[in-house]
Amino acid sequence: MQIYLPIAELSVNLFFLVGIGGAVGFLSGLFGVGGGFLLTPLLIFSGVPSSVAVASVTGQVVASSTSGALSHYKRGGVDLHLALYLVVSGIIGAFGGVATFSLLRAAGQLDLFIALGFLVLLGSVGTMMLIESVQSLLRSRSGVVVRGRRAQQHNWMHGLPWRVRFKKSRLYISVLPVLGIGVIIGFLGSLLGVGGGFIMVPALVYLLRVPGNVVIGTSLLQVVAMMAATTILHAVQSQSVDILLAFCLMVGGVAGAQFGASANKYLRGDQLRALLALLVLAVAIRFGLSLVLTPDDIYSMAVLTPAGAR
Amino acid sequence: MNAWRLLVAVLGWTLFTAGVQAERLVSQLSDDLIEITSSYDGERITFFGNIEPDAGSEQPYVTGPYNVVIAVTGPSTDRAARRMSRQFGIWLNTEQVTYEDFPSFFKVLSSDALLDVTSATTLAVEGILPEAQPDISDEAGWWKSSIFGTELVRLMTERGFFELNEQGVQFLSNTAYTAEMSLSSDAVPGVYLAQTYVFKDGEIVARRAESFSVRKTGFERYLATSASNQPLFYGIACVVLAVFTGWLGGVIFKR
Repeated sequence: MQIYLPIAELSVNLFFLVGIGGAVGFLSGLFGVGGGFLLTPLLIFSGVPSSVAVASVTGQVVASSTSGALSHYKRGGVDLHLALYLVVSGIIGAFGGVATFSLLRAAGQLDLFIALGFLVLLGSVGTMMLIESVQSLLRSRSGVVVRGRRAQQHNWMHGLPWRVRFKKSRLYISVLPVLGIGVIIGFLGSLLGVGGGFIMVPALVYLLRVPGNVVIGTSLLQVVAMMAATTILHAVQSQSVDILLAFCLMVGGVAGAQFGASANKYLRGDQLRALLALLVLAVAIRFGLSLVLTPDDIYSMAVLTPAGAR
Repeated sequence: MNAWRLLVAVLGWTLFTAGVQAERLVSQLSDDLIEITSSYDGERITFFGNIEPDAGSEQPYVTGPYNVVIAVTGPSTDRAARRMSRQFGIWLNTEQVTYEDFPSFFKVLSSDALLDVTSATTLAVEGILPEAQPDISDEAGWWKSSIFGTELVRLMTERGFFELNEQGVQFLSNTAYTAEMSLSSDAVPGVYLAQTYVFKDGEIVARRAESFSVRKTGFERYLATSASNQPLFYGIACVVLAVFTGWLGGVIFKR
């Protein structure tokens, strides 16, 4: 059954959209990430213009993260104070990201930067996750009892000025790294159409030493708020949010995420991280190859003004 | 004096036209409005036409053989052709030529090979060939514009927006023809112009312009106009929809 997407201006199979939404939703529920980093590339590879794909996936990420954020909030797993700092700085970053997005699109370099961004981001995060999880797998196999790093451990970031007390996270740290993380994730997330959960979680854990019980909830809330703002910014700035496309993906994604979350119980944490790392690396390699291999056609075309605009 | 002149002119005109055969074209499109609904998946358009003696001429019938060429042009946009090259080991767009008012759709249907129908000069003057669509861009210069223009036409042809179908027009009799053209689902909405030329012995003996429009209708139209006219409201609506869908999913599956 074909469905016509009014903003993308093409017709796509409805079951295909709900299907990839569901498959990505399953993985996002399984690994506890937003899934934007898989969905945006999938849409681009299946012919949706990259500007529409990026902008519409931001809407889908809001939906897929909402139910998770709500349930974590009910369990008390959200540090609202910390989330506020991250969201405000994230929205500032998103303004920069959406503006850069428009500039790159006009200059014809949007696809290049999306590919480069995914390659660098997913490549580095995937590699780090893989190394960390393989080490942990090997250690648990050899029977050594591993004690996690202590959350109270100090690093150079604790010497910075403007310290603020985050009660729920039991942290007394400078706001500078918090705002920095927010701005960077806001910028990259709006530029690449990803929620940034897979960068946010390691950043909160390893850089800020946020305790494990509030990391996921805070990160999810931050993703919801920041992606909501990004969706509105994209709708105003580039008018490339396709609500019908986003809705089809949401329906599949929300349903898939529930099944993914139940499958989550059957796998151990380090196994999950190793699998996620492999998935992230696979997407990174796909983008890397598209940059390095000689393309089938070195010529391409682009519409500079939409037909309706004149 | 003026009356004499007029009389001479009228006499001269009648004498002139009586000796020469004159044709006119009567034609019709299967649709003049193509509505894009949520299940829209492209459309086929049929052209019908008949070549008749011109109004006022005394001949009872016209004799061929005729050739018919139909050129359909879609809405224009500014379009860029880009070329990639390898820089620092990666492929990126390095050169670009912009073509202003470039048609988003251009299909030519004809009853015979175009060069058998008429001369290359006539084709060029009338702008019938797909290759004639890119104008020469001043900033890029003639040579580069020509190369990128050819590539742009090739890309448009591969995507199915440009086509030259030299068996596209079928004659049902000596004077009546029919032609069919497909419009894919990603054809740009807007006004499409169909120019029909009737050729005899390589000369244009009759021509006719018709138009049809492709436009979004109902819900699709509402969404597209909201997105461009009330972007802020549209963006907020997307977010509300997303939050509601996410919340509902959580409730249904009791996470």
